[in-house]
Amino acid sequence: MASSSQIQPQPGAGRIAAAMAGQPQAVLIVLLLLLCGAISLAAAQFYSLANIIAILRQSALVLIVAAGMTTLLIGGEVDLSVGASLAFTGCVAMDATNRSGSVPVGALAALAFAGAVGLFNGLVVTRLRVNSLIATIATMMILQGGVYLYTREAVQNQHHLAAFTGIGAGYLGAFPIPVLLAAAVFAAVYIALRHTLFGRYTYALGANPIAARLSGLRVRRLKLAGFVITGLLVGVTGLILCSLMNAGQPTAGRGFELTVIAAVILGGTSLAGGRGSLIGTLLGVLVLKVIDNGIIILRWNQDFQMVVPGVVIVAATWLDTVRVRRRAV
Amino acid sequence: MNVRLAILLATTAALAPLTVLPARADEVPKHIGYVVNYATHEWYQNVIKGMKDHAKLLGIDVAVKDANLDVAKEVAGAEDFMSQKVDVLIITPVNEEGVVPLLRRAKAEGVPVVLEGNPVKGMTTMVAICDYDTGYFAGIEAGKYAQAHLGGVAKVMNVGLPLLSATVLRSYGFMDGIHTIIPGATLVHDLDGGGNPDRSLEVSSAALAQNGDIDIIYGINDSSSLGGLQAWKAAGKSQDNLLVVGTGGEGLAFINAMEKEPSYRIEAAMFPEKEGYTTIDAALALYNHKPVAEHIVSPTTPLVGDDWKKYYEVNGTTRSIKWDAVNALTPPAKCMKTAADLKKS
Amino acid sequence: MLSDPHSPALAMQGIGKQFPGVVALADVDLTLTGGQVHALIGENGAGKSTLIKILAGVYQKDSGSIRIGGVEAELRTPRDALRLGIKVVFQEIALIPEFTVAENIFLERHPVNRIGSIAWGKLRADAKALFDRLGFAVDPGARARDLPISTQQMVEIARALAHEARIVVMDEPTSSLTPKEVALLFTVIRRLKSLGIAVVYVSHKLDEIFEIADTVTVLRDGRHISTKPVAAHTQDSLIQDMIGRRIEFLFPRARGPARSDVLLSVRGLSTKDKLRDVSFEVRAGEVFGFFGLLGAGRTELAKAIVGFDPIRSGEIAIGGQPLRPHDTRTGVALGIGLLTEDRKTEGLMLEQSVQHNMSLAALGGFAVAGFVQEARERSAVQGFVDRLRVRTPGLDRPIRDLSGGNQQKVLLSRWLLRGLKVIVVDEPTRGIDVGAKSEIFALIDRLAGEGHAVVMMTSEMPELLGLSDRIAVMANGRITATMPRADATQEGLLSAAIA
Repeated sequence: MASSSQIQPQPGAGRIAAAMAGQPQAVLIVLLLLLCGAISLAAAQFYSLANIIAILRQSALVLIVAAGMTTLLIGGEVDLSVGASLAFTGCVAMDATNRSGSVPVGALAALAFAGAVGLFNGLVVTRLRVNSLIATIATMMILQGGVYLYTREAVQNQHHLAAFTGIGAGYLGAFPIPVLLAAAVFAAVYIALRHTLFGRYTYALGANPIAARLSGLRVRRLKLAGFVITGLLVGVTGLILCSLMNAGQPTAGRGFELTVIAAVILGGTSLAGGRGSLIGTLLGVLVLKVIDNGIIILRWNQDFQMVVPGVVIVAATWLDTVRVRRRAV
Repeated sequence: MNVRLAILLATTAALAPLTVLPARADEVPKHIGYVVNYATHEWYQNVIKGMKDHAKLLGIDVAVKDANLDVAKEVAGAEDFMSQKVDVLIITPVNEEGVVPLLRRAKAEGVPVVLEGNPVKGMTTMVAICDYDTGYFAGIEAGKYAQAHLGGVAKVMNVGLPLLSATVLRSYGFMDGIHTIIPGATLVHDLDGGGNPDRSLEVSSAALAQNGDIDIIYGINDSSSLGGLQAWKAAGKSQDNLLVVGTGGEGLAFINAMEKEPSYRIEAAMFPEKEGYTTIDAALALYNHKPVAEHIVSPTTPLVGDDWKKYYEVNGTTRSIKWDAVNALTPPAKCMKTAADLKKS
Repeated sequence: MLSDPHSPALAMQGIGKQFPGVVALADVDLTLTGGQVHALIGENGAGKSTLIKILAGVYQKDSGSIRIGGVEAELRTPRDALRLGIKVVFQEIALIPEFTVAENIFLERHPVNRIGSIAWGKLRADAKALFDRLGFAVDPGARARDLPISTQQMVEIARALAHEARIVVMDEPTSSLTPKEVALLFTVIRRLKSLGIAVVYVSHKLDEIFEIADTVTVLRDGRHISTKPVAAHTQDSLIQDMIGRRIEFLFPRARGPARSDVLLSVRGLSTKDKLRDVSFEVRAGEVFGFFGLLGAGRTELAKAIVGFDPIRSGEIAIGGQPLRPHDTRTGVALGIGLLTEDRKTEGLMLEQSVQHNMSLAALGGFAVAGFVQEARERSAVQGFVDRLRVRTPGLDRPIRDLSGGNQQKVLLSRWLLRGLKVIVVDEPTRGIDVGAKSEIFALIDRLAGEGHAVVMMTSEMPELLGLSDRIAVMANGRITATMPRADATQEGLLSAAIA
């Protein structure tokens, strides 16, 4: 019988391991500190303002979508269409801004389009009962082909509105606007996951869908909300990317979904659902983007930009299972 | 400009007849089938456009099938065309293994085959641009520009794509070309931008943070050069002492950039429409059993400043090629360097 | 392997095993003799599974020694154990569903013919010979996934023979078997005895132990309590060894008679697959028991009346309100909920805390504008932990760390916190140790006493007879008999269940 009398304090190294075991993000925090330390020792430019901003801006793009993906994965679903939707959204945003000459209209168009993609994914998964992996691969294909029906080539900036450029490249005080947007999204999703019914139900849904249904939860509506939120966040990111590139690029976002999912999984969110945290996702994004950046800063062969994250994901996941095993009985 | 033209003129001659409309005595094929490897790409869109433009004038029907990067689809498409008894087959190979048996079968059935883009063992003829030369002549122009506007200093960031020999040749050519004008030119960053704009933006941002002391950005395609330029802008740098050189000139992106971005001064244009045009000429020659070169070079040329207006006309969101100007370009008989040279070194 | 014929088949001495923060086993001895059945019992968390897993080579002991046939043995992997003649038949059967019976039996060592390919004919013949030795007939060519659990178990036992195992360990082998299948299993166990094999029998069910075992070892809190011949025990003395205290009444009935108001009424209920024209009523303060053999339709009925599974025809009313639309959300809102048979896959969120598990169904009540008022939630949960005496180190502890009985209390509290009229419990004591069982019974009794209507599905006849006011018997998706408890006998129930 589990009772407190069986939990005995352990001496020495065991205590450090136990402290690590109690801290789910320990492995990632240590990894991130080690990476930053090692890279900056080898190349001092790593800590230059320009580079930190470059890392943060890239991290912001991934983090915004990863916040939605974390929610989806915790609820036991996945969306592989985010990369394709990102590219399409950028084209829609630029086109709408060109036609209307208004940044708010362009931004709304981006959110509406990407939100509709999320809604479509959600309806296919909840109403047609298609597995989300399959459903969103299908959406990805539809969008990848569809964007070429929409535009053969990049949608150029014909409106030359400074506010539009500001979304991606601008600053508010000392902070790049994409980073501020990501911080706002992070805070909102963090609170939603931790302190609202929506968050608690999402965890329950992923942990045990049958128990969730038996408890009277609106399972389908909950899933749908996860997809729509992810879609809207893709809309935000698509707008930023489009502004950064100063064009709606149908070829953008290739492999973006994998970067996002890799970051979320690295952050400790379970593919099986029910387990994960947004803090972990943030750390996962930072680790991947610091590695990406570090390889260029260190002037290593860029092929390592694929190899190193792969190794890191395996190593971190392994370390985490070791950690969990130490804790579990 | 004149130096370049002189070089071009000196090395052409042999293929001049091909760029001229066929003599009356020539028989004109009725049906040509084209199996393209990836029709979605802007480059091939324009290749097809050039083919159809030219074929229409000659009264030839061109049918297109898209392999969509799938060898099996490519083989099936070509076999379809053969069983429909097309007069000439044009193929852009997805890969070598798939096309070799096709060439054998076409030979057995007596259907002449023109390849576009990439060579395959056992081929009769291929129409393709010279990647190295394209980069090389753009490099010469960049060198001249640097001498005139950048104080004779050339510090290059290459937003490249090491995966493909064609794009590696462009980068090599660019550096070799720039060295003929500025021997002290340096390659500060040699990046893998994946050929797409967001990746190019990302790696360029990191590279510029590592060392921002460059004055020339070279991109192996327009997405790469534009990604590099956006990274420069996102880092808050002024374009005053910067030169951006793009490659390809597939669509409107480079025209837009040359019009709007003060630093985007040079484009190594590759005229995909002309490549399509040339394949039709090659098909005609094969059909009439005329001798053809193994590699028919499709012309490329660097466009500086407003040069693009000589070759293209823009109406809203479409561009149209000015055939007279492009047809006046005389391509070299053979490339300065090819993928085979890469393997040697 | 050198072996001394006079030494025991296996001797484990002073076995200790620690996990971080928990002593799972301390100084435990276990001695097995060929041709004898040795029962291993203890409450959940007593250390039975840890001991078995050490025997199976899944866990490594921290201290102590294991001697097999008098020779010191190291069991580092399951392969080691198998090689040394130890075969463990776990609760979750480890057959490969897509393989045939014969392929499963000879998984590790397929007989091969001269050219090195698998000799399929010989494979089948060998499998059949093994079943003959066990006195049991299974088609060696059948796919494992098509076989009932009981038969799969036999295949596992046949695997033991195929490996020439001298020691066969069975972990809760009867937990999903019908009485008939249990009888068959015992026949096979007796056959194993006659072959000189030492059998370790792990179970909660005391009557089985008295029937089949020769010797009983009792573990409690990871320690060895006693090893005696079965004949030296009474049911009471065994229970006392297990829980360290005497349980006077397994089924204490404290509540008064049922009231007159009908809280659940089911009329003419049929489903696509199983249920046919099921009708019954349950009143406030009543425990209405359902008996039936495996596959009779009890679980299907439970899932249909709470709105989880769709129905084809019929009427369900909770507190007079029809369950329409037929879904769990409406069901919960009207006040009916299900405590499922399968805690792990249908009830618990294993990785999540005790608090989150308990508050799931009631969470909406703790929310203001979508934000959960965590302080209110926590104090309500704490209230139920105290009332139901849930033994947990803390509300934030993952529920997987709790024993089965305490997990069940948390799941029951999930509904109590929500406030239901009708609670449907399906096999409420499956996999729960004796001490916790009586607590669950007392709880069900108390719930009824407080005016809830309880529908209880169980295949344990003593539970049914001890707790219900009325009993319905199901067979093939129909109710074949309904009787007040006073009229029910074990024989009467069984004959209605077979009908």
